[in-house]
Amino acid sequence: MLRLLLPLLALICLLPAAQATEFKIATLAPDGSSWMNAMKQGASEIEQRTGGRVTFRFYPGGIMGNDRSVLRRIRVGQLHGGAITGGGLSEILPESQIYSLPFLFEDYAEVDSVRKKIDPQLISAMYDKGFVSFGISEGGFAYLLSNSAISGVTDLAGHKVWIPEGDDISRAAFQASGVSPIPLPLTDVLTGLQTGLIDTVAGSPTGVIALQWHTRVSHLTEAPLMYLYGSLVIQRRAFERLKQADQQIVHEVMGNTFRTLDRSMRDDNHRAMEALRTQGIQFVPLQQAEMVIWRSKVDQAMDKLLDNGLFDAALLQQLRRHQQAHRSQSASN
Amino acid sequence: MQRCFLRSLSVILLSALLGGCASMMTSGLGENLSQAIMNQDDPQTVQAGAPAYLLLIDSLIAGDPENTRMLVAGSRLYSAYASVFVEDMERGQRMAVRGLDYAERAFCPRHAAVCEAANGPYLAFQPHLEQIRQRDIDTLYTYALAQALWIQRHSHDWSAIANLPKIEAMFERVVALDADYQQGDPWLYLGIIRTLLPPAMGGKPEAGREAFEQAIARSNGENLMAKVELARRYARLVFEQELHDRLLHEVMQADENVPGRTLSNVLAKRQARELLDSSADYF
Repeated sequence: MLRLLLPLLALICLLPAAQATEFKIATLAPDGSSWMNAMKQGASEIEQRTGGRVTFRFYPGGIMGNDRSVLRRIRVGQLHGGAITGGGLSEILPESQIYSLPFLFEDYAEVDSVRKKIDPQLISAMYDKGFVSFGISEGGFAYLLSNSAISGVTDLAGHKVWIPEGDDISRAAFQASGVSPIPLPLTDVLTGLQTGLIDTVAGSPTGVIALQWHTRVSHLTEAPLMYLYGSLVIQRRAFERLKQADQQIVHEVMGNTFRTLDRSMRDDNHRAMEALRTQGIQFVPLQQAEMVIWRSKVDQAMDKLLDNGLFDAALLQQLRRHQQAHRSQSASN
Repeated sequence: MQRCFLRSLSVILLSALLGGCASMMTSGLGENLSQAIMNQDDPQTVQAGAPAYLLLIDSLIAGDPENTRMLVAGSRLYSAYASVFVEDMERGQRMAVRGLDYAERAFCPRHAAVCEAANGPYLAFQPHLEQIRQRDIDTLYTYALAQALWIQRHSHDWSAIANLPKIEAMFERVVALDADYQQGDPWLYLGIIRTLLPPAMGGKPEAGREAFEQAIARSNGENLMAKVELARRYARLVFEQELHDRLLHEVMQADENVPGRTLSNVLAKRQARELLDSSADYF
C-alpha cells in the first residue's frame, strides 16, 4: 500500500509547481493608461517565458476600490497584489511614506541620489512585512494649484485646501500652516473644485491634467510640495509558491517594467508642466523668506508626528544624511 | 490616461463623413460619392479608393479657398480617413493637421474669439461657446471633430490632452443646439470622453452611459458602433460583463446594411467580435 501511495504523494507534492498560477492584481490606473499598458506587456512576457505557468489578471480603474480596499482584499485572499500609491503602501509599511513628507526634496537630482540608497531598504522592509515589491516608480512632484496666487504660507489663509482622506501627513502640514484642510476622497475632488467646496489642490502635473483639475485652477506654486510614487506589490506568500526560476522571471520582467515607468513618468511630468503653462495657468514662485517660514512650521509638525510614532525616525535620519551629502557634493561642484 | 481616447475615436469619425460629403453637393458628385462610401460593405475598397477623393477635395478647396461647405467636407473626410485607415503615426498626424486647418478656416472667421480662447484656460473658453447659434452647427461640429482627431494623433502631447475638456464642451454645445444632429452622433463622442476616467478617479461613467444611450436611441438603434463603444468604454470600465456581452451579441445579430451606416456597421461588427473574444480574459 505504501509503495502505491508514495508515487501519489510525490505527485501531489509536485502539483503546486506544475499548476499555473494566476495573480489577481488591482490598481487605480485605468485600462489604457501607461501603467496598465506596461504591466499588461510585462504580464504577457512573463506568461510567454514561463510557458503559461504564471499569468496575471488585472482589475484596472479602481474597480476593486481604493488602495486601502485593495489591501483589505489581499488580506482576505480575494486578490494577490496591487499597483499601489505611496500613501496606500503605508498600511503595509509606515516608513513607505517617507518620500511624501512635505518639502522634503528640492529637486529631482536630490530624489535620485536619495532613492538609490533608500529604495532597497524600503523594498526589503516590505518583504519582511509579507509583500514582494518590484520596484518603486515615480509619480512626480506634487505642486500646489489654486484659484489665486499662493507665493507663501500667508497666502494660504482663507483657502479651502483639499487633502486626501486619511492622509495624516498632509493634514498636519496644512494645519501647521494655519489652514484647516478639507479631506475628500479622490472621487470627489473635481466635483469639489467645480462646486467651490475646495479651491486648492496638490497634484503632479500629469495627474492634474488627467483628472481635469486644471480646468478649475488658475495658479501653480513653483515649489515641489511632496514627492509621489507607487509600486507593484504581490503578497509574498502567494509569490513564493512559484518555482524559483519563475520567481526570477517575474522579478526581472516586472522590475524592468517599473524601472521604465519610473523614467518615463519624469518626462511626462516635464511635458505636462509645460502644458499647464500653455493652458494659461500662471506660475507663481515661492518667495525664499516665506519658504523658510513655511518649511520650519511643517518640519515642526512632522517632528511631532514622528514623536507620536508615524514611523521609525531612524530611516528619516539616514535619508537626511544622504540628502546632506548630496547637497554638499552639488555645492562643491 | 486620456490616451485611451486614441483608439476609441477611430471608426466613429467615419459617420462624420456623411455630413461632410453631402455638403459637397455643389461639386455635382458629392452626394452620390458619399453615399457610395458609407454604403460600402468592404472597408478595404474604401481604404484603397478614398485617397483619390482626398486629392479631389484638396483641388476643389484650392480653387475656392473660402468655401465653407467645401472646407467642412475636406476636414471631415481627412479626419474620418485618418482615424479609421491610417495606422502610421506620422502620416496620421499630417492628415490631422490638414483636417484641423480646413476646420479652422471654416469655423474661425465667424468665431475668432472661440478659436483664440481655445489655447487658453478652460474657464475663459467655455462661455464663448454660448454665442454659437444653430446656423453654425456644421462648422462647430467639424471643428470639434478635427480637434478630437488632432488629440488622437498627438496622444503623447500633454497640451493636446489638456484640451479634452474644451472639446467635450464643444460637443455639449452641438447637442444643446440640436440633440438629433447627425442622428445623434455627437452623443457618441460625449460618451467616449465621459467614460475616460474611472469612478475611483472622479470620473462619471454614468453620464457617459447616458450619452451612449442617446446615440443609440437617436439613431433608432441603427448605429451599431454606439453599442460597441458602450460595451468597450462603459461596461468594461464598470466591470459589467453581462451588459458587455449582451450589447455585443446584439451587434453581431443586427443587420449591418443600413443606408448611410453600412461601412461603419461592418467595422463595428468586426470590433464586436474582437471584444467578445477577449471578454473572458478581461472580466
